[in-house]
Formats: sequence, structure tokens, C-alpha cells
Amino acid sequence: MHTVAESLVRENSVHRDAYTDPAIFQLEQQRIFRRAWLYVAHESEVQKPGDYVLTRLGPDEVILARREDGALSLLHNRCAHRGARVVAEPAGNARQLRCPYHAWSYRLDGSLIGVPLSEGYAPECKLKGLAAVPRVESYKGFVFASHSAAGPSLHDFLGGLRSAFDNLVDRAPAGSISRFGGSLRLEYRGNWKMFLENAVDLVHPGFVHRSSVEAARSHPEALHADAITQQGAQMFLANGMRATQWDEVPLHAFPGGHVYMGGFYKQGVIAPERDDPVFARYRKALVERHGEEKAAAVLAVDRFNNIIWPNISVNARFGAMRVVRPLAVDHTVVDVVCFRLDGAPAEMHDLTLQFVNLAASPASLVASDDLEIFERCQRGLASSGNEWIDMRRGVLADRRAADGSIVSAGTSELPIRHQFETWKAWMSA
Amino acid sequence: MIDVEALVLREARLLDEQRYPEWLELFAADAIYWIPTRPNQASPQEALSIIYEPRPLLAVRVERLARAEMHVQSPPSRTVHHVSAVEVDGDQVRSALIVAEWRAGEARWFAGRVTHRVRKEANGLRIVLKRVDLIDGEAPHRAIAVPL
Repeated sequence: MHTVAESLVRENSVHRDAYTDPAIFQLEQQRIFRRAWLYVAHESEVQKPGDYVLTRLGPDEVILARREDGALSLLHNRCAHRGARVVAEPAGNARQLRCPYHAWSYRLDGSLIGVPLSEGYAPECKLKGLAAVPRVESYKGFVFASHSAAGPSLHDFLGGLRSAFDNLVDRAPAGSISRFGGSLRLEYRGNWKMFLENAVDLVHPGFVHRSSVEAARSHPEALHADAITQQGAQMFLANGMRATQWDEVPLHAFPGGHVYMGGFYKQGVIAPERDDPVFARYRKALVERHGEEKAAAVLAVDRFNNIIWPNISVNARFGAMRVVRPLAVDHTVVDVVCFRLDGAPAEMHDLTLQFVNLAASPASLVASDDLEIFERCQRGLASSGNEWIDMRRGVLADRRAADGSIVSAGTSELPIRHQFETWKAWMSA
Repeated sequence: MIDVEALVLREARLLDEQRYPEWLELFAADAIYWIPTRPNQASPQEALSIIYEPRPLLAVRVERLARAEMHVQSPPSRTVHHVSAVEVDGDQVRSALIVAEWRAGEARWFAGRVTHRVRKEANGLRIVLKRVDLIDGEAPHRAIAVPL
């Protein structure tokens, strides 16, 4: 075992232990998932006073609640008495939280209301309430939290990729978005980092997704079938681009480990600007909000996955987000959620649901092969023989841009190099 | 009534025998194959779905199952679709389903209630809707490659 995590990352390669060593995973939990800003939930999930949802902050289960005064609380879901989970329902509305074990009850700010048999405690006993997470902040409705009381502000942490949230909210004619549609949840027996590396690896689609590309090519009638089938066929076919076309999809890496890739859907219902009555109504509503110039600029932002380090992937154009939850060094769950653009035609929301079903379900013709590859990588990396994993592909194309980001061609492994540089910094300090 | 039950049982067996093109033929041209995420989900507009596919898209899914480069079926799954508690009510069939799947050295199970809606067509009975309500539709799932 390497006790020093930073020795696992070299300029152009990473040691396989970064993906396979349980001790490294424990260190990641402490140094990354107990310190970084992590996404917990969206404000639209707790709109009214008393609303709460159960969610996770790194390894811990936490309760996000809207208090009477409108402020948000993020509390550990653990009774201050014997440690029982206080809340068991995934969401609800309550004036107070009461532990089912010995009925300790708490306000939504975590403070203790009372305990049975309180006269049996000595007068100087000061009983605790539910532990609160030290830092909770929202950015444009996205609630993030950190287990660490110190560190960069959320604003600075998100840095160059605040733009992903800005663009998602700017796309809503009413100026706000709402989580809807529940979630799809994926699971694989592989390391959490693989998902985030793969989401901006533009060489894999031609190989990993070949079966769905070929299946769609052999059914050209699908492009003229019902709307759902058309959308699916267009998505499957888009993965069949040549390497030179993928190279034209830009990759941008920003300080802090964040990366985005440009869009690559150019035609049909999945194209950035469409020519159909639903989109025309939507565009009109957006122009009413922003004016023609800004509306055009908002719609012109053509990106696919925005990876916000360490563990979320946002697709603003399709109103979708994936939250990657590491469970063990070789076991990961991904929650896929989507957002309604408030003020947009309902048909746009149907399209979002369909997009997420087709692209991200565990039964997706696309995502299922990704999951298979992660599991194969994990099983492969368990074998010795080639300790260092090369990540030099496309290094000659990396260019530093004026805004401090690094830009590269689509087929570059820039995102993997960049994510590991950030990983090394967090794991070392 | 016996025909309808036989259709449901045959559908399950064709999946176990990996006769996917024949399986697809059991579905009407306007059929929907649906695995919702939520219990009692009223529509695909209400919430995400593990699968919501009209037949033309199901045809692409079946086409893919024949491809050597479908990595998640290399090696292929072996399954048993255990159908029981079949109740026929007009054009609707309710049943209980347990699928045991073995692949790449590991076994796993799915369980749920299934609703078929069927229609008599010129060439025989056809499925108009197959809806699988898993007991854990909202739980995390590893890759699902074979239709349930």
C-alpha cells in the first residue's frame, strides 16, 4: 500500500492503487468528501416551511429542511441520544423531528425541544440537539455543503463552472428551475472516479457504444417514427462520429478540477436550436424574459457534460444532473435527476424525461455499456503487472486560454490529467 | 382466455431462450414496453422510467442484442422469467414476475408485478402494452441488458 497518496500521481500517469486500494478510498473520504463542497439537493425540493428531504453529504446521511424563517438547515440524521436515524422517509413535511426510540424531539434547526423524563437528569446536564453541518450554501438554487468549517467559499470553489448552473437557470423563461420526475439510480462495481473520467472521454463512444450506433444505423426508419424513437435514434447515431469530428468538440479544464465538453448533437430534436412549434413557443417566452440578444446567447451555449469536481455532472441543455456517490473503492451509485425549466412548454419537460431515460437509465442502450466497462476496468485493475496507467493521449493539443482554463481537442485525455492533478492537491494537503 | 395466458407465458420463454426477434413479433406496431421507476406511476410524463419504449425503439433494442459488440452481453445473460399468479381480465393480464439472471459469474434477481394489455389482430393476439412494476424501481440498479 502507498501511504502517501501524492506518490500515486505522476505528470502523465496514475498508479492503479488510486482506483483499487481501500486505504486510498478511506483517505479520499476524509480529505475530499469531508472537506470539499458537495451537492446535497435543490431548493425546489424544500420549498415550504417544514419541508425536508433525506440526502447524503459524503459518507453521512443528512436532513435538508426548510425552517419557519425560510432558512435552510442541514442536520445529521442521527439522534443526539442513542444514535438512531430520526427520519426514515425520503421526504416529507414536519413541524418538528421526533426520534422513534425514546422520543427526543428537535426543531428544524436541530435544537432540542425536549426529552421524556427530563427531571431524571441533573440540572447542569446540557443535552445536545441534532448536529448541524458547518457550512451550507446555495448557488442559484443548488444547495451545497461542506463538512469542513474552513475552506474556499462555494462561489470560489465552483469557479469557472458556475457557468453551468447559470446557463441552466438562464434557460428557464420564469427565471427558476424545479427538480421533477424523481430519479434514476445506477450502480456499478467500480471506482467512483471512472464515471467522471468517462463522461468527458470522447474516444470511448465510438468503441463502447458501437452496438447502439450500428443498431440505429440498421433501422433508418426509426428517424421517422414517433418522437421518442426519433430522439433515441438521433442520440445513438451521434455517438458514431469519426475521431476527427470528436476532435472538433472542445474540452475546457478550469482550476479546481472542473471540466466541460462542448456539445455534439447537431441535428433533429436534440440540436441546440430546433425548428418546431414547441421550441418556437419556448424561444418566444425566453425572449420575453431576456430580450432577443441575451436569449440568443443563452441558447447558443452548446455544451454537453459539465463536470464539477469532485462528483457531479451537469447537462444544462437537457436539464439533467448526475451525482456520483462513492460507496467503497470498488462500488459506486449514481443518482440521475432532472429539472423543469419554469415557464417553458410542458412538452420540453417530456423531452427532458425521455432524454434522461434514453441516455442514463441502467437499461439505456448507451449507459449500460458504460457500466459494463467500469466493472471490467475495476476487475482488470485488480491484476498486477502494469502498475502505472498512462494518461498522455492528446497532451500535445493542450493550450492555456486567456481565462485561465486549459483547452484541448475532444480526443484528449486532458480531463483525466486535470482531475488527477486536483485529486493529488486535495489528497496531499 | 387460455390464448391470452399462453401469450404471456410464451413471451417470457422467448426471452429466456434469447429469441429476441420472435419476442419482438409478439408486440403490436403501436405497442409500448414500460418499466416505470415509481409504484403506481400514472404516466411517463410524471417521472423518469427505466424503460419507456414504443415498438420502433424496441426494435433498435432487439437489433442491438444481436450485435457482437454489445459489451454488456459479452458473455450473454442466462435468465429464467418465472411468471405466476396470472389473472386475465378482458384485454388485460396481470401477473407476478421474478427474473433470475446469471451473467459473468454473478447471479441477481428482479421481482415485480406485470400488466399486459393485448389485442386480437389479423395475425393473432398481440401485446399492446407490457408494463413491469419492479418492487424496487427507484433503487440503484446495475446494467439491465435483457428485457424483463
